[in-house]
Amino acid sequence: MAAERRKGARLKKRITYAVLSVLLIWSLLPVYWMVVTSLKSNRDIYNQPGLLPLAPVLTHYRVTLFDTHFLTFMRNSFLVAVTTTAASIVIGSLAAYAITRLHFVGRRWVARSIIFVYLVPPALLFIPLFAVVYTLGLADTVYSLMLTYLTFTVPFCTWLLIGYFKTIPAEIAEAALVDGCGPAGTLWRIIVPLALPAMAVVALFSYTLSWNEFLYAMVFVGSDSQKTITVGLAGLIMGDVFMWGQLMAAAVMGSLPAVLIYAVSQRWVVGGLAVGGVKG
Amino acid sequence: MQSVPAALPRRRHPFGKDARLAYLFLSPILLVLIGLVAYPFFSAISLSLQDKMVGAPGTFVGLQNYLTLLRDAIFQKTVVNTFIYTVLGVVLKAILGMIIALVINEEIRARNLMRALCFLPWAFPTLIVALNWKWIYEGTQAGLLNMLLYESGLVSTYVRWLSDVNLALFSVIAAMVWQGTPFYAMMFLAGMQAIPKELYEAAEVDGASIFQRFFKITLPSLTNVIIITMLLSTIWTANNLEFVYILTGGGPNYATHIFPTLSYEIAISSRRLGLGATVPLMFLPILVVIILVLTRRMLEEE
Repeated sequence: MAAERRKGARLKKRITYAVLSVLLIWSLLPVYWMVVTSLKSNRDIYNQPGLLPLAPVLTHYRVTLFDTHFLTFMRNSFLVAVTTTAASIVIGSLAAYAITRLHFVGRRWVARSIIFVYLVPPALLFIPLFAVVYTLGLADTVYSLMLTYLTFTVPFCTWLLIGYFKTIPAEIAEAALVDGCGPAGTLWRIIVPLALPAMAVVALFSYTLSWNEFLYAMVFVGSDSQKTITVGLAGLIMGDVFMWGQLMAAAVMGSLPAVLIYAVSQRWVVGGLAVGGVKG
Repeated sequence: MQSVPAALPRRRHPFGKDARLAYLFLSPILLVLIGLVAYPFFSAISLSLQDKMVGAPGTFVGLQNYLTLLRDAIFQKTVVNTFIYTVLGVVLKAILGMIIALVINEEIRARNLMRALCFLPWAFPTLIVALNWKWIYEGTQAGLLNMLLYESGLVSTYVRWLSDVNLALFSVIAAMVWQGTPFYAMMFLAGMQAIPKELYEAAEVDGASIFQRFFKITLPSLTNVIIITMLLSTIWTANNLEFVYILTGGGPNYATHIFPTLSYEIAISSRRLGLGATVPLMFLPILVVIILVLTRRMLEEE
């Protein structure tokens, strides 16, 4: 009986590792292929197909960095993501504090409408938002994106922050109130410092959401000087000739900010996601 | 700032005792919710009742746009495609996500690293994933998939993954599943880690098999998480346009058009804003039902 169970355990272990290997190949091979392609010369890409770059070159990286608008796209993506995230954290913290700590009529209603708004898809909003952006005179500028990205980063950040603020014991906040801090002082001096690590994680998620956005950026922005990395890259393949080496070099570099953030924050990802949900 | 509760005399507060401060704190978010979501939402509905081109005033046409779409063969095809794309995508992601979560939840070596690697596709911008898969699907020996299949002798002619009418939609789905699966795995894994270990120990003592433990303990404990994840993902999958836009552009012969790409094509490429805005609104009843169910479940989970 015991021997049989040990045998069963060993079999289970073997199956687990076999499945894991398949999963790793499935997850990593496409990423590996992207990197390999970016390192092959244009001739090798078509004439020397294979999993290894036989004569690796950095040409595509050099060309992408210095002969295209790549750096402009990256800068725009960065500016938009940072601005939107900073605004969302401030707006979200104020709202999350009000919802978790203050007594007022309509509290449940506000909390509910935040989730509701978070679930309204961009595919439904991009046409009327295009009109809004146009009316405000923001068409074809990065400012249009800084404004419209708030439609998903604000409800997202608020929803996660509500979850975190709830975990801060009510007694701490009450003690601060009794000590004469006042609600605004309590938020600024007690809640914010305690929630700072959580806020950092929320900010990273929000940054990634902005960095990865495509639909609004494609519809609202047309000039190369205002494009973000996602639209910029999409623009590169719309021509007749696909420069795959160069595209993949741009793809690798364009993914880096998001992937690095993921590498840093992935240990919180599982816990953080349980509260909200990021994308799928 | 003065302490508000102390500053106010102890009389009844019709809107709650912190009402003034609360509404002050909420004013920025309400501005975003109303100005950037609610207003555009109603203006989408109003657009759908107009015949409006970009840059020209619209004329009210009642439900004409809705009727036009319902009679339109391309729209009908789009509905079928959207349905296949979403249902198949969500089911595959759920199954694969469950397998990943189960494996990562085992006591494996270098677990954190393995988890990070399995979840990696999630970290890439969707647009870049779509670009990468377009290259993987390349219809010559230069494409990864054709190269692997040809070299291993599984095919004798290169497969046209994205231009074969019968294949294209499934190729797009596979790419979308690749990126979307880790989200499921993360949600399921978080759910699994909340299941008390004692349940499994007790089951093992009782001689329950692996399958019995999965179906009697793991699956029932995860019901709510699975429902929330699949509903969230249904909204996101159906509304995501990057994969179709980049991989096939809706072709060949409209075989892969889903409603966001059709909406984009009509509203932006053909400049017919009214008709374009109507496309996603056709799916509004389903969306509203999903959102209502989700909101209730997400608030319960809190």
